Amino acid sequence: MIRFYEVTKIYPNGVTALASVNTQIDMGEFVFLVGSSGAGKTTFLKLLTREIVPTRGQVLLGNRNIARLRPREVPYLRRKVRMIFQDFKLLPNKTVYHNVAFALLVTETAPRKIRPSVEQALALVGLENKASAYPDELSGGEQQRVSIARAIVGDPSILLADEPTGNLDLETSWDIMEVLLRINKRGTTVIMSTHNSVIVNGLQQRVIELDNGKIVRDDRKGVYEGEAEHNAVLPG
Amino acid sequence: MRYFLAEGWGSARRNVSLISLGTMAASIFVLGVFGLVMMNLTSVTGHLRSSIEIRVYVEDSLQAQGLEKLQQEIESIEGVDTLTFVSKDEGLKRLTSQLGERSGLVDILEENPLPDAFDVRVMNADMTPDIASSISDLPGVLSVSYGQGLTEKLLATTRLIGVTALILAVILLGAVLFIVGNTVRLSLVARAEEIEVMKLVGATNWFIMWPFLIEGMIVGFMGSSVSGISLYAGYLACINRVAPVVPFIPIIVEPAPVARLCTGLVVLGVLMGVLAGGVFVRKHLEI
Repeated sequence: MIRFYEVTKIYPNGVTALASVNTQIDMGEFVFLVGSSGAGKTTFLKLLTREIVPTRGQVLLGNRNIARLRPREVPYLRRKVRMIFQDFKLLPNKTVYHNVAFALLVTETAPRKIRPSVEQALALVGLENKASAYPDELSGGEQQRVSIARAIVGDPSILLADEPTGNLDLETSWDIMEVLLRINKRGTTVIMSTHNSVIVNGLQQRVIELDNGKIVRDDRKGVYEGEAEHNAVLPG
Repeated sequence: MRYFLAEGWGSARRNVSLISLGTMAASIFVLGVFGLVMMNLTSVTGHLRSSIEIRVYVEDSLQAQGLEKLQQEIESIEGVDTLTFVSKDEGLKRLTSQLGERSGLVDILEENPLPDAFDVRVMNADMTPDIASSISDLPGVLSVSYGQGLTEKLLATTRLIGVTALILAVILLGAVLFIVGNTVRLSLVARAEEIEVMKLVGATNWFIMWPFLIEGMIVGFMGSSVSGISLYAGYLACINRVAPVVPFIPIIVEPAPVARLCTGLVVLGVLMGVLAGGVFVRKHLEI
């Protein structure tokens, strides 16, 4: 279980990204984080990978306060909480297979376990036939699927997705969502920040809306109301 | 380990330039030259210092009892190692043998002009002036001689060269650190994406650092082994020509101590490489 208790994050430049946020996410849930740019979505996700620590409050994973982890414990947290990004962050000089295997290699996985784990992850994202291709030979959607395969290859319990469909067309975005839902069905908690109202409205999952660093809405089966409201008040 | 070695070697091959390798080899070479100069100076000064003796001349009026008392007083001074009595007859005998062909001079003298004396050896050459001063204050002592001035100059020169060598060593080691560090920095820039992904998926800091430490080690080894080997071969080639010309100077001609120094330089280069790799990678990765 993930719990945020009175979490406030103020950056050194004085910007308050999150202000007294309280929420709880159960293991195995699928959650959309929505809100306008600068609402605090990325900060929310970065707190879970301990890329940053809260200024005040606690971020709990199970019973452990992530902010209290010693620096040498952080890598082990990141093996359980993996993240994917809008820009994929693939290594251009490595093949699809080696990009995925890299996550196992650098986390000191036994060599005999690497090949079957990579093949399984590639099969899950539907790229088993592209193992020897290089990233620049793939479409955007395929590259994102490689990055998902790399994120899930060590069987993390939580997958964070920071606007994973931000650079993709709608059809490709649905392909990515299909993969993420499949991963969620296997028991992995998925928290995804997005601006894509069609996808949020279409999937009817839990929606947490952030505005100016505060949770303004938390719907069990929500829609992307923010955009509609925002559009409604826009002049013209 | 295979991964670390492959990554470290690959990065070293990609990022080390002939210029940086040459500069590093030259720095370590100069350091080695200074090391050899210091070794030889230590050998020469050690030889000279071991032969430093205080000659204590005693007054003729001193009888056997007085001599015994004076001997006890000198022996009780802190830092005195051994003490040998040289009677005036023994002194004359030594003088005759030192004069060699001119020993006839002694015969011209009607009586032995030399007083009785003690030869005093000290435990530490640095203490010679103080001990000599203490002895000269003792009753019954005519005069004290130990090559005044020469000893002080020798000690001061050795100290000066030692301090200079130390300062130079610090500067040159700084240069080596900078060169290896710069090579590692280039690797860090080249592998920035890879490192970002490594941190993202949960690689430990040590796992990220190892290839850079190995790279530093390889670069350090390459630079220092070039200078170590050339210094060893160059020194022995030169010394075999110089030594016969100056047989009275106890310079180092045996290969073993030179080999030890050169091996030390290579080890130093490797350690500097690892240190530079570690410092730079920690700084850049904010580990």
